[in-house]
Amino acid sequence: MEEPKYYDIRHVCGVSTHIDIENGIIDSAGSSFFDVALLRVLGRKGWGLVNIENFGSRSKREIEGFIAEAMRFASVTDEEIVLGDAPSGMLSVPKIDGNPADVPLEEKCELLKSIEAAARIDGIISTRAGYSEGSSTVYFTDSCGNEYSYPVCRSGYGINAIAGRNGDMQAARESERTIGGLNMYHREHKGLEAAERALKLLDASPAKGGIMNAVLDQELAGVFAHEAVGHASEGDLVKEGISVLKGRVGENIGDSTLSVTDDPTLHEFGFMPLDAEGVKPMKTEIIKNGVLNSYLHNRQTLALIGDGDAGHARAEGGAVPQVRMSNTFIENGDSTYDEIIAECRSGVLLKGSRGGQVDPGRGVFQFNAEYGYIIENGELAGMIRDVSLSGDILKTMHNIVLCGDDLRLNQGYCGKGGQSVPVTDGSPHILLKDAVVGGQGA
Amino acid sequence: MPEFDSNSIIDDILRKGEKIADEVEVVFGTGKSIHASLKGREIGEAGGSTSWIFCIRIIDDGMIGSSTTNDPERWEECLDAAKAGSKFAAAQEWGGLPGSSATNGTPESVFDEKIVLDSTLLTGYIEELLNGASGYDVNVAGGGASASSSSFKLANSAGLVYEGSKTRVSASLETISGTSTGYESDSSCFADRLNPFDIGEKAAYLASHSVGAGEVDTGTYDVILSPIAAAQLIGGIVVPALSGKNVKAGRSYFAGKLGEKCLDESFSLRDDPFSGQGSRIRDAEGVPTRPLDLIKDGVVNIFTYDLKTAYKYGEESTGSAVRSGSSPSIGFHNLYFEGGRQDIFDEKALYVHDVIGAHTANGITGDFSVETSNATWKEGGSDGDAVRSAMLSGNIFEMLKSIAGVSKEPRELGNVIMPSVRFNNTRVVGK
Repeated sequence: MEEPKYYDIRHVCGVSTHIDIENGIIDSAGSSFFDVALLRVLGRKGWGLVNIENFGSRSKREIEGFIAEAMRFASVTDEEIVLGDAPSGMLSVPKIDGNPADVPLEEKCELLKSIEAAARIDGIISTRAGYSEGSSTVYFTDSCGNEYSYPVCRSGYGINAIAGRNGDMQAARESERTIGGLNMYHREHKGLEAAERALKLLDASPAKGGIMNAVLDQELAGVFAHEAVGHASEGDLVKEGISVLKGRVGENIGDSTLSVTDDPTLHEFGFMPLDAEGVKPMKTEIIKNGVLNSYLHNRQTLALIGDGDAGHARAEGGAVPQVRMSNTFIENGDSTYDEIIAECRSGVLLKGSRGGQVDPGRGVFQFNAEYGYIIENGELAGMIRDVSLSGDILKTMHNIVLCGDDLRLNQGYCGKGGQSVPVTDGSPHILLKDAVVGGQGA
Repeated sequence: MPEFDSNSIIDDILRKGEKIADEVEVVFGTGKSIHASLKGREIGEAGGSTSWIFCIRIIDDGMIGSSTTNDPERWEECLDAAKAGSKFAAAQEWGGLPGSSATNGTPESVFDEKIVLDSTLLTGYIEELLNGASGYDVNVAGGGASASSSSFKLANSAGLVYEGSKTRVSASLETISGTSTGYESDSSCFADRLNPFDIGEKAAYLASHSVGAGEVDTGTYDVILSPIAAAQLIGGIVVPALSGKNVKAGRSYFAGKLGEKCLDESFSLRDDPFSGQGSRIRDAEGVPTRPLDLIKDGVVNIFTYDLKTAYKYGEESTGSAVRSGSSPSIGFHNLYFEGGRQDIFDEKALYVHDVIGAHTANGITGDFSVETSNATWKEGGSDGDAVRSAMLSGNIFEMLKSIAGVSKEPRELGNVIMPSVRFNNTRVVGK
């Protein structure tokens, strides 16, 4: 049998736990078990992959059989792959103050109940709260002799509240996720916040679409950093020619106030001590003072494209590594929030996020705020709902004219390529001139 | 397939489960799949998997617990976890798991015995994808092909044993010319129904046609949503609003509107479990499936239920349980969108091939605002000038009250069968 030029195995096993509460009643709660691995071999040309179920109980002989199977898959590939040199290694994993997996399910149910109960105030017609926890151990080994393992427990909760009046309904949501331990203690105010905002949205006006100045809060501007800037800087998209940032390193692509960073070493929700190829993660400055500085890479795209850092390969358990973001944010500028609102003069303040999407090849993004406010004469006026923002990535980056000094991070998941991985997005408030704002108000 | 005796483990789970709970259900799912992925015009990776999972659900004094494992040696731990979880769930009315009761029809086959999971099947598809794209001056960015064969066995303590098998092939291609992108994909349960040449040709045409696209002024236009665009907005907003769980929990637009004419009288939405890629004779918890006229001539006709929701609220299961994890949830099998079929491409309209951001819509109210992809003016049945950027805003429930027509030929998108849908006077934010 032909020997692989290289192989690695990434094995993830553990327990997932969930609690769902609906209108005050525990709908379901419990745990499930997972154990899966992905074996990659580099054949004469490209990758051969085998997803291995229940890897933990496999014998050495079985694994040799999987390597042979992966080599057969690799034999049909025709892309020449070269792996760039990147430092193998693992960052230390922060100690957490009490592992959520060690907290009894009963206690977690009670904590989530108290958050959900806080949302059931007058005018709220439906509530739903969920807790999820993934406690796993990741094992990595490769044909170069590297072996690593680390434990991680990601957990968090979300609370949805729906307000109703005379047949109208509006919803609001709060959620928090962490790698730092159980985060449901004393969070009743988050349930109340969701409920109060849902009630206020009943009186909010539909946004009027058009081209106008927009102030983005930290959460929505963080989605911009992720969707519009981060994805377009991913080396695999650059390599395939489907990023508008291809060939622009060193070019001034944004206002000098704009700097964007991806930092997997930060102990936030997107933290990883080791990337999915066994490379030691490092902070990458994607845009520095308006100039495109670096791409995010895996070992293959580093070798082919350069101009950036490896250590950004990520994968779900059993899935193929992709070039991904981790903790991505717009760096603080020096404007205060009040200065940004005043400078906007006339436009909208967009707050919160219902998610976003990007076509990085076309350079177009779209995302939806949870709500917002009209800005008139440099001051906040009426509340608006169902307001979205779309635009051209390159044009928009030149139109970010002010960055605030109040950076804040938010946790979420990114779904690139059908794989869901935990990420953090963040930003200070930013002022965007001539934004394309969507809404159906007259 | 797995190297252990799954039937024996299923029997053990049922036997032990009945000792610790009133009822027990096991679903064992297994599958084998292969794929090959294009990186540019070359195959960069190819792979496969053999997967399996045991899903266990127990019901004890009206309390339901569930768990999953892919380790055949941990089934007892999995059963214990289901029992432990049940203790925290609120007790509810429960009328029992289904036995081997009579079924309602004959679903079409979703298994192609001619499919052999060999890489040459995929390399053949990929060659055709690239041939299809070769007629246009575009670059291939990615894509690929996959094939799978899966089976399941559902068994419960009421004596039901229900088994099924399914095959699936799929192919996709992503193209770019300058900053114009194109993407097309298709899937089928049968190898000879997939046409990768057409997929490649369409993906290349989309990128090519969008080169040099113009802008559109902000205003109100007649808009045609392609089957892909319509499926995203209608599937993501309207279908969840028909779920009995959402209706009873007070988070559905249709709550309290059963029997009311809420939408255009030409509009019907039907779940047909016997025709399409999602065909099956029983649902994911063994209840016999049946065709459901969810919306009939604009009238909300029936809400969908699984067993748990039905028992909880004194309703009857509609055989709508689907399963993607340990517990069943409410879904559909094959969704058919019906409207007034006519020639909707004659009069000038903005044709929207795809949308970006459909998942950001307000699922409670139906308000959405999305960016279009590969939009083009269409008139006299032909594509006119392409439009580079346009944001489409509206409320999908309001729009469905006034449908200007649907195309004569629907398109099969997995288990959603959707025509193009024309809406007149729709708000578009352009430049």
